[in-house]
Amino acid sequence: MRALTISRLSVAFGRTARTQLRHPQSAAGTLLVAFFLILALFGPQLAPHSNPNDQSHDVRVPPTLDPGALQLGEHPFGTDRLGRDVYSRVILGAGSIFRIAGLGTLLSVILGSALGLFMGYQGGWVDELIGRVIDALLAIPALLLALVLIGIIRNLDFAAGSWQAALADNVILLVISLLYIPIVARVARSTTLDIKTREFVEAAQIRGESQFYIIFREILPSVIPSLVVEASLRFSYAIFLVASLGFLGFGARPPSPDWGLMVNENRGGFYQLTPWALEFPALAIAILVIAVNLMSDGIRRAVQKGS
Amino acid sequence: MNATGQNLLEVDHLTISYRVEDQWIPAVRDFRLQLQPRQIVGLVGESGSGKSTVALALMHYLSSNGRVESGGRLQFKDEDLLRKSNAEMRQLWAKRIKFVPQNASAALNPSIKIGRQVMEALKAADDIDGHEAYKRMMQMFHDVNLVDPERVAERYPHELSGGMQQRVTIAMALISNPELLIMDEPTTGLDVTTEAVILDLVRGLIAERDTGVVYITHNLGVVAQLCERVLVLYAGEIMEEASVLDLFQQPRHPYTLGLVSSVPRPGQSKRAAQLQSIAGNPPSLTRIPGGCVFAERCPLVIDLCRERKPPLESLEDGRLVRCHRWEELSQPLPPTPTSHLYGEHPRHQMPTIEMVGGGANGETLMQVSDLTKHFPVERNLREILGRIEPSPIRAVDGVDLQLRAGQTLGLVGESGSGKTTLARLIIGLEERSGGSLQLLGLDVRNSVRERSQDVLSKLQMVFQNPQNSLNPYLSVRQAIRRPLIKLRGLSAEAADAEALALLARVNLRAEYAERYPDELSGGEKQRVAIARAFASDPDLIICDEPVSALDVSVQSAVLNLLAALQDDHGSAYLFISHNLSVVGYLADTIAVMYLGQLFEVGEARELFQPPYHPYTEALVSAIPVPDPLHATERILLSDDLPSAQNLPSGCRFHTRCPRKIGEICETDEPPWRQGGAGHLIRCHIPLEELTAAQSDLIPLDEVV
Repeated sequence: MRALTISRLSVAFGRTARTQLRHPQSAAGTLLVAFFLILALFGPQLAPHSNPNDQSHDVRVPPTLDPGALQLGEHPFGTDRLGRDVYSRVILGAGSIFRIAGLGTLLSVILGSALGLFMGYQGGWVDELIGRVIDALLAIPALLLALVLIGIIRNLDFAAGSWQAALADNVILLVISLLYIPIVARVARSTTLDIKTREFVEAAQIRGESQFYIIFREILPSVIPSLVVEASLRFSYAIFLVASLGFLGFGARPPSPDWGLMVNENRGGFYQLTPWALEFPALAIAILVIAVNLMSDGIRRAVQKGS
Repeated sequence: MNATGQNLLEVDHLTISYRVEDQWIPAVRDFRLQLQPRQIVGLVGESGSGKSTVALALMHYLSSNGRVESGGRLQFKDEDLLRKSNAEMRQLWAKRIKFVPQNASAALNPSIKIGRQVMEALKAADDIDGHEAYKRMMQMFHDVNLVDPERVAERYPHELSGGMQQRVTIAMALISNPELLIMDEPTTGLDVTTEAVILDLVRGLIAERDTGVVYITHNLGVVAQLCERVLVLYAGEIMEEASVLDLFQQPRHPYTLGLVSSVPRPGQSKRAAQLQSIAGNPPSLTRIPGGCVFAERCPLVIDLCRERKPPLESLEDGRLVRCHRWEELSQPLPPTPTSHLYGEHPRHQMPTIEMVGGGANGETLMQVSDLTKHFPVERNLREILGRIEPSPIRAVDGVDLQLRAGQTLGLVGESGSGKTTLARLIIGLEERSGGSLQLLGLDVRNSVRERSQDVLSKLQMVFQNPQNSLNPYLSVRQAIRRPLIKLRGLSAEAADAEALALLARVNLRAEYAERYPDELSGGEKQRVAIARAFASDPDLIICDEPVSALDVSVQSAVLNLLAALQDDHGSAYLFISHNLSVVGYLADTIAVMYLGQLFEVGEARELFQPPYHPYTEALVSAIPVPDPLHATERILLSDDLPSAQNLPSGCRFHTRCPRKIGEICETDEPPWRQGGAGHLIRCHIPLEELTAAQSDLIPLDEVV
């Protein structure tokens, strides 16, 4: 039964893929995201120097990339002031940003949609109460809230190896999902409000189905398309947020090859010396964010067309 | 036909295509039409037949993915419309060619007062000053019977009822005295009472002008009552064109014949005969058959029909027909011509059930006593500050009903009468404010959440909109097996087998089990919904307008199915509809509802004869009978249903009642009067007087 529903949804996504291909921008976006995903998954194998902190190279070597001759050279993106290969660091940095932004988004979509489905179906004072809390949370700027939460959690002292410490290590991921849960919940709720008045839901009610069954078997499949659109949008914001936090020094700690952190480390006076050490990670952030946006545009177009 | 010079509109070989995914699909092929001034030509067809596409093409108003193929002719007087630019068309639209849309509320600008909108339309057509325009608008409003035109002009569209909005759009269209008027289903969204008023109005207005009208509808009754000539469109092709009399009395095309005979007529009952129906579905426009487009569904099909497309032949009396075998159909017809042609599934005779006095089937299944639903109204600021409790909306206000086992109770009334709320109270989707429900003598709890498995399995429902009644992500098999497992407690394997058996019983092949709702037509979806409702073998099925969203040719098949299933299962129906003919066909007993109360209850055949309650009388007389020779004196009601929050005193119907006798109607609630076995009428007028006053109406069963 479940397999059938999944096959039903995969038909919808086959259509999504076809619609993507018809629009060159969204096809390009999807391909770029796929390219970065490969970097994220196979970074250690693809990077010429799998240790991002290998300082054995000459310092401040300019980029040897020569697009005209289709040559990468020894240090395509040059080396930074400590003699680290920027090309390898950019490739290796893809992994952390995909892990944090991707898992953070996934977690927020799962929890947020469960919350939204429940609110929307239940209605009444439960919906009213949670809705007000969400409004209050959304009134605080996301970056500010993230900084406050990270600041608090980082200052707590946990015993090494305890679960609290494990949580604290993934604090950015958790903060991202916490920030986006209310937003996803709102989307899921509004779609649920529409679907729950459909007659097939009433047909389930008059045969005495449980609330759990109605929410997850009858309503959820119709909500998934709008959740997919929202998830892709959230993902692009999450990437941006991770990079911003890294830049502000609240994200990954040195010397990890985090793109935002790399921009931060090479700004100011260092920019004069090794502009490439700042420009390439900044470019990577920009391209990835734009690519994800183009992809999510395409997904939205396909979903709207399908419904 | 007439000489060219006289024709207002001449259309020849018109082919209209739409681009769908880089492919041009000819939605309408070889369309022809001739229209003279003062003539109303009806364009009939089911959904997808291309009738609205024709309307848009006549207006030169196709969307950007549509085009008229070259080779056609579209001549409006001496203007060739196909050669016109949009700027030139705009001048024609301003004055000479007008359009009345189906959905008046969407056609009127919600943020501009009615008066300004109409005057704008007038000023675009004629160069006149504001004072003159206002005078003409008032005259026009008066002509379309808008009460209190000065106040209407000062209102915004949402402050008017649907019927009044449609009058405004008609006034807007006619105010410039157009030569050509195209009306696209202008009464489809309206109540039958309002529809009757609008049709009367259109007929009167056209008679005193030189306007020619193309009237698009799916309702054969409307055509019969209004049009002079009729074009029947099917899958984008003209099947037949004839005068309205010829079309209804001697159809020459099997499709027309099927359509005409599949509409239940007022007074026709399931006991007398099965309805005729046309099997199958229209072809997909992406795969138009090479032969006759109707061949797949035609009872007269021969090999030739599949091989060669029949030409559109002109017959000697000015008719057009597209059929290889029209000559055989034009032979003198046997007394009941249609029953053999479409009666391929003869139905066993349904026994006449002894209604009152309790036969074997007459035991009371459900007793509804004093059922009430008041929806509370949120208080506004003034009411909160003044501590005023606003009066609730009394959707259902003290209804007593008896449903008998194995029988059908029909519930009729205009929209806003509370019939759907009553159904939802019984099924438990809405919590009642008062009164009681007893199923087989046992109290039934308020909402579905509190009801026992046993009660749930005995009560089921078929919904109005087939589009939404099936979950798009569940296959047909999944939709049907769930109630089998949940309510009948079958194992998964047994449920699968039973689901197939149920599919067979609603005349769907086993391969439908693995299909999804978007692969089904409207009629097929409704069959699946019916199978799902029957899965728990319920005692009572509530049918809330189950056929109103379906096409005519499909409608009758679903009605037949409901009647046959009732025969087999012995389930009772509570059948809700605004269409009295449909209710009359299926129901044993009919209850008439108005503003939350019942006003008449009686056996179906008695209800179509005097004495009527004045409200029933208006409903019955408003039915557009699909027979051009049938002309009743219509009892026209003003189209304003009073608000259910602020109900009229005394008899709730007194504000609209054409037979109001005096002050007593405004002050006292009318008593129930007994008129023969089980026939109850709630009125201040004694039944003998009602009978006498109403006997000049043609009894409807004489029509059939």
